[in-house]
Amino acid sequence: MTMLSVRREVGEFKKRYKWMALFVIFSMSALLVRLFELQIVEHARWAAEAQKNITKVLRLPATRGLIRDVKGHVVAENRPSYNVFVTPQLLGEEEVNQIAQLMGLSEAQKQAFVHTIESVPARRRSHLVQVFTDITRDQYASLETHKRELPGTDVVAVPIRSYPYKGLGAHTVGFLNEVSADDLKTLAGLGYGPGHFVGRAGVERAWESYLRGKDGEQRMVVDVRGQELDGSDRAPRSKPLRKEPVPGLDLRLTLDMDMMRSVERAFRGHPSGAAVVVDVHTGRVRALFSKPGYDLNEMSGGLSNERSQELGDNPFRPLIDKTTYESYFPGSTFKPISALAALQDGILSSGAHIDCPGYYELGHRRFRCSHVHGEVDMRKAIVQSCNVYFYHLAEQVGIDRLARYANEFGLGQKTGIGINTEASGFMPTRKWYERHHHNRYHLGFTLNAAIGQGNTRVTLIQLAMMYTAIASGGTLYVPQLVERVERPDGSIVEEFEPRVRRRIAVDPAFLTYVIDGLFGVVNDPKGTAYDARIEGGVPVAGKTGTAEVSKKKLEPNEDPRRAWYYRRSHAWFAGFAPADKPELAIVVLVEHGGQGGKYAAPIAIQILQEALGSPATDTAHRPVLVAKKP
Amino acid sequence: MALRRGFQESFDWPLFVTTVAIAVVGVVNLYSATSAAGASLRDVYIQQIYWLTFGAGTAVLVAAIDYRHFERYGWVAYGFGVVLLILVFLLGREIRGSQRWIPLGPFSLQPSELMKLFFIVALGKHLHNDPRTEGRTLKDLIIPGLILALPLLLILAQPDLGTALLLVFVFATVMFLTHLKLRSLVTLVVTLAASAPLTWRYLLKDYQRERLTSFLDPEKDLLDTGWHAHQAKVAIGSGGFTGKGFLQGTQNQHKFLPDQHTDFPFPVWAEEQGFVGAVLLIFLYMVLVLWGLKIASEAKDRFGAVVAVGVSALIFWQAVINLGMVCGMLPVVGITLPLFSYGGSSVLTIMTGIGLLMNVSMRRFHF
Repeated sequence: MTMLSVRREVGEFKKRYKWMALFVIFSMSALLVRLFELQIVEHARWAAEAQKNITKVLRLPATRGLIRDVKGHVVAENRPSYNVFVTPQLLGEEEVNQIAQLMGLSEAQKQAFVHTIESVPARRRSHLVQVFTDITRDQYASLETHKRELPGTDVVAVPIRSYPYKGLGAHTVGFLNEVSADDLKTLAGLGYGPGHFVGRAGVERAWESYLRGKDGEQRMVVDVRGQELDGSDRAPRSKPLRKEPVPGLDLRLTLDMDMMRSVERAFRGHPSGAAVVVDVHTGRVRALFSKPGYDLNEMSGGLSNERSQELGDNPFRPLIDKTTYESYFPGSTFKPISALAALQDGILSSGAHIDCPGYYELGHRRFRCSHVHGEVDMRKAIVQSCNVYFYHLAEQVGIDRLARYANEFGLGQKTGIGINTEASGFMPTRKWYERHHHNRYHLGFTLNAAIGQGNTRVTLIQLAMMYTAIASGGTLYVPQLVERVERPDGSIVEEFEPRVRRRIAVDPAFLTYVIDGLFGVVNDPKGTAYDARIEGGVPVAGKTGTAEVSKKKLEPNEDPRRAWYYRRSHAWFAGFAPADKPELAIVVLVEHGGQGGKYAAPIAIQILQEALGSPATDTAHRPVLVAKKP
Repeated sequence: MALRRGFQESFDWPLFVTTVAIAVVGVVNLYSATSAAGASLRDVYIQQIYWLTFGAGTAVLVAAIDYRHFERYGWVAYGFGVVLLILVFLLGREIRGSQRWIPLGPFSLQPSELMKLFFIVALGKHLHNDPRTEGRTLKDLIIPGLILALPLLLILAQPDLGTALLLVFVFATVMFLTHLKLRSLVTLVVTLAASAPLTWRYLLKDYQRERLTSFLDPEKDLLDTGWHAHQAKVAIGSGGFTGKGFLQGTQNQHKFLPDQHTDFPFPVWAEEQGFVGAVLLIFLYMVLVLWGLKIASEAKDRFGAVVAVGVSALIFWQAVINLGMVCGMLPVVGITLPLFSYGGSSVLTIMTGIGLLMNVSMRRFHF
């Protein structure tokens, strides 16, 4: 017992135990309160988060609707693209090396891959991140073979858009690409999310809501690695929820891709231009062609910066839809409007003669004509494109009447074709000149307007609808691109009837008279497009145009060769065929092509010939006049 | 050295029952906590049973010998503990950036765990031999301070912030028993407050600072530093009133809880057993600690009182810090839940501590 120390007084400690006990009770109570807060008060919030933790929602993308042309050729379809997703959290160096080896990545590609993974923000590291898109079948096969060794690596087959016609009709058909962060602000409400694709141009964009369909989803129960739990796990499994995607609707266009090919062929040798072909009976657009274009497959796959730069820098502006977005001086193709305005309002009779000395003097200015035409009546003025005749006519008709008739035929107004951004063009009035030209209108403006120069601007689609109206006896249609909407099984959801915008109040007799003039343009030996006619081919009526562009002097550091090209006139041809029983109206523009009769008319006539492909008919085929000559 | 009263009368049943209850619940919970982890952790709950059994043996041994013998060998034990702590640096392997274990064949020993008890014993010996009635001054804190400082610095060097912190808390609790003069107390508090920024700047490692800042702003980085704390809260909160059921906790079974068998066993329990189970467990800890204080208050000498308070404080602080941290009330530091977390050294330490409590309790009638 002596080994043990004596017991010491514990009085010093006595009064402290109470405080310690109180502190213990207080601390434990604080814990209980906290537990009450977490487990009772905030239970719903945490339960939801726990559920979210173990639920992975896989989007089942809807198959986008197909786009077909009028004959059923597929213009836009879907093919599978194999995309690789990884969960960055689960990738060590070893896995990265294995993936790189399986996919046969180059060192640079591997570095890019590593960089992609490393740049994933921490809060997303347990989520799937897309790292490769559209891998080859070989890469897909080797990844699938080693699937088990690579947890957190998924290959997902996603349908992507494919355009068999590549660049043909690019502007009209349009393309898709991935929604950007900015888009998501506006599109999120419509169910778009990161990685979704959306139509960006043309029909793909305008008809997005039809084509898109409705995504389905697959809910899976997963663990922290994002892997689906298989049956061997003891973990609770909620029933997997699957919502099937609803495929998008198919579209049947009015376009005829065979005709588009023919247009493309006809444009060979011309770097830049556009053409529109419209069905005269319905206003349905058979061809809408803008050159140069771009490969839609390339555009949809996400363009490289260099390619994008290249497209943007191309002087022939491949990104611009020249049929609807761009407007031009119509040049002489406008003359039928001037003629009809004069005839219909009884201002000038068709028989009136004017002497063309090759110019027209107004004050101190001389307005030039292409030739000295001598004695000219209205028909001859159209056939030979005599400006002087139309200057005289303009003087009497006045600018406001010209504008009214132009508007009546749909010029200077959007046609309502419904794709891309449509330019409205412009038809000046007296008021407009007074407001915009130092409050001074003068007659020169009117003279220019009558021959489609000055400030008049039209789009190709407007001009095509105007010539359709002339050919159809005064019916102005809304140009139609989509004929019907179909379900994937082929049943029809919606069919679109031709839409008439208005019946133009012009005497059919006057129309017939003008048409006769247009026939002469191609078929009279002195007609401006006579050289372009095809002997024995489809009888074509139409009007050439040579729209003058900028007359600016050469700028100091401008390349003279380029400048020469840009100062060349635009070549136009607008018309229809067959002249007696019109089927198709056509407008062809060769940008900076030169004279319309020489450069645009042959293209138009070749297209019409290939489209209507009529057997040889009487060369002197004349339109049937439906009314007596006025 | 027989007990004055019979074994039956002096055996501390409440202490025994509470301890067994926590240990049993702990093993059951470990079974669930490791069930999803697969082969690597399959035997953890069996291991825990072994350790508990071994610990119980140690406790019986410790309880059987009059605690005043331990007082006699207080400095020896303390010295032994310090030597082990030094050996850690010579023999230990680095695991997850710190050296804490000495490999012993198939096991590894964590000297910092054992040091907790040696430290309490040494402190008890000092206070036992320094009886006084007048208030103490700062000068009187020098020796206790040195007793603390030596193991504290060695443990901080490992580094093991949790255990170091625990030593400081136990030290403060024990010293609270003594009567410190008000002036000395004020000086001490002011000095400590002033040195806090320096500690932050020079003593803490980057990852420790990061844990503290992420505690203050838990939403900042949910997947890195804040991840543990956040997923623990999700587990506890989603448990609700009655819990998801044994083996049914999704946070646990789907592996959203990291270190679910060591630092985070409570969220597993709270998720699967709900508020009811959580309250029960907290109640058990409270009973255990309060009972320890009762034993201290009835101890017949200063050494017994200090040891009882020290062990109670050890259990209390470990429990409160661990629970507070998994509930998101305190920053995440590596402190285990006594008897509930898996760990040989930890179980052995707590069981030995319980043995000491039993010892003091059974000898309260001695004079």
